[in-house]
Amino acid sequence: MTETAVKSGPSRRDFLKIGGAAALVVQAGGLVAAGNVQGSSAETYTGWESFNPATQFFNRKPFEFEGPAHLPVADVRRPSHMTDYVFGRVATFQRAYEANPTWTPDDPVEDLGVPDPLVAFYKEYPERLEWDYRTFSETIPTRDEDYKVYGNYYKLADAYSSGFTAHAAYLPTAGSPPEESDFMEMQRNWPEPKPIGDPVPFKNEEKAAEFIKEVAHRYGATLVGITRAKIDYFYSEGWAGCPEDYDYSKLPEHWQYVIVIGVPMEWDTVLASPQASTSYEGYDRVSTAAVRLEGVIKNLGYPARASTPMTYYDMIVPPFAIEAGLGEVSRPGYCITPELGSNCRLAAVVTNLPMATDKPIKFGVEEFCNSCKICAEQCPSGAISMADSPDEQEWGTGPVLRGYKHWYINNGACYNFWRESMGPLGCRLCVAVCPYSRKDNWIHQLAREVDPRDPTGITRESLLFMQKNFFDYPEAVEYRRVGSGGHFASYRPEPAFLHAEDFLDIPITSPHAD
Amino acid sequence: MFFDGNIFWLFMGILTVVVGGGFNEFAKSRGWTLTWWKWALAVVWYIIFMMGFYAWGTLIGENEGSAGFRFFLMIAFISAILAVGLWRLLAIGSSKNVNTQ
Ligand code: SF4
Ligand code: SF4
Repeated sequence: MTETAVKSGPSRRDFLKIGGAAALVVQAGGLVAAGNVQGSSAETYTGWESFNPATQFFNRKPFEFEGPAHLPVADVRRPSHMTDYVFGRVATFQRAYEANPTWTPDDPVEDLGVPDPLVAFYKEYPERLEWDYRTFSETIPTRDEDYKVYGNYYKLADAYSSGFTAHAAYLPTAGSPPEESDFMEMQRNWPEPKPIGDPVPFKNEEKAAEFIKEVAHRYGATLVGITRAKIDYFYSEGWAGCPEDYDYSKLPEHWQYVIVIGVPMEWDTVLASPQASTSYEGYDRVSTAAVRLEGVIKNLGYPARASTPMTYYDMIVPPFAIEAGLGEVSRPGYCITPELGSNCRLAAVVTNLPMATDKPIKFGVEEFCNSCKICAEQCPSGAISMADSPDEQEWGTGPVLRGYKHWYINNGACYNFWRESMGPLGCRLCVAVCPYSRKDNWIHQLAREVDPRDPTGITRESLLFMQKNFFDYPEAVEYRRVGSGGHFASYRPEPAFLHAEDFLDIPITSPHAD
Repeated sequence: MFFDGNIFWLFMGILTVVVGGGFNEFAKSRGWTLTWWKWALAVVWYIIFMMGFYAWGTLIGENEGSAGFRFFLMIAFISAILAVGLWRLLAIGSSKNVNTQ
């Protein structure tokens, strides 16, 4: 049937068509607004919404495999506080350099006056020696000068961070060897240290793990996993409270299980890396949760000892986090987790409470990191390898670090930039720019769930295409100091509460001004 | 907040019905016969197109507005290409005489 009638006003059909078009426009606007609310919602700040187990929401089951995640490929050398641990190493270098201020890298390293193990380390990793030298001979003096000019700009960021560092004074570090301190209760104000009671038996290992995980979340851990202790990742000397002649060649008998916990740094603040963000906020929260965990385990009659960034590390934690299924190793060497991406600060508690352990997971990080390289391209110090895979790492001992093959960074170069950047100590830029370090809104949920299930790699490459082409990144040099071609750029602007010029009545010079 | 509440999504549902009704009338006026698979394709297209707006808003909320806009442009471009193909598919089996009301 053909209708031919022509009416002067809009017909019912026209009305419906116009109404449909108008509804489409309104719906599009409504979705932009709804998206905006979802994107800025506090519920997307994983680890900051609440203290409850729901924060560990990723279903790891499909990605589990029988561990271990790491297998040695050469002779294993345990990490050393004096050499591998960057703070320990630079402190030793600093003491020696201050005693020998005329020493330069052209002189034999033996003349520097550092202990023999560090001499050997510097010979194995000569680039670390060059960077440590540069840090103390050039970078720190320059930073002191920069701070006189730009320090006030970061006044609030520094003050905010100091609130967390101050709390370190209230977190206990073991004061005697594990055989003693791990068996003592932690309560303050008792005239005499009190030994822990008899162990209270759990019904089974699963129940023990279930309880420990539940309370870990309630104590503030966003993520928690359990694995067996392995001596390879414990420092080869210098455990908290131990004398020099302590026998470090074997683990104390009660160091059997490692509970690893992780929390994120606050999501907006960390995006202001490398200048105005702070690691100490994440350090403080994770350390506090670990100390609480040590307390509850001891209260149940089992020895325990926390290794935390605010107190002391007896072990390097990322390998345990990976074995415990929290995540996978990434290009900068840290553990990327499904929930928090790279934005995950770790602590651990070692104990002999028998618990069911977790399995490691593979959810595509290895392949993603091989393709991605964003952190390496952005890193202001060039500390992160640009190689196409860990096998092709170009520095130090190539692909193998202390007997294991995986990604690792040039921590001398990294630390050097820590002492160049403004604001609270550190950089964290590789955390901020990583595509995995994103809040928990539907876009990132989709990416997180689809990519690990896509064996073709198309999702990964599409995500990377969008990440690299749609998101703005400063040039790496822009993060550097004024005078080195940079302007102390941040990946994203500082959150409003850290804008000193809006709050403080002091003269402020912005490094970003032309 | 209104934009993440149940009332808002109810409103969005009503708008979807209105859009569907308008599309139905538009199809009739062009003489298209809307079969189930044409409806299905049109719905998929609409979801993709609208997803561009939702993603744009989400990235604005994440303080990544320019990335959101670029993403939206990409979705709009893809939608435009898909729309050409969809148009041809929708026209399959259309009656010769085009309704004007
Ligand atoms: S913290 Fe900064 S300097 Fe160190 S590796 Fe990461 S991006 Fe590079
Ligand atoms: S930025 Fe890319 S390469 Fe670096 S850790 Fe993240 S995913 Fe891996």
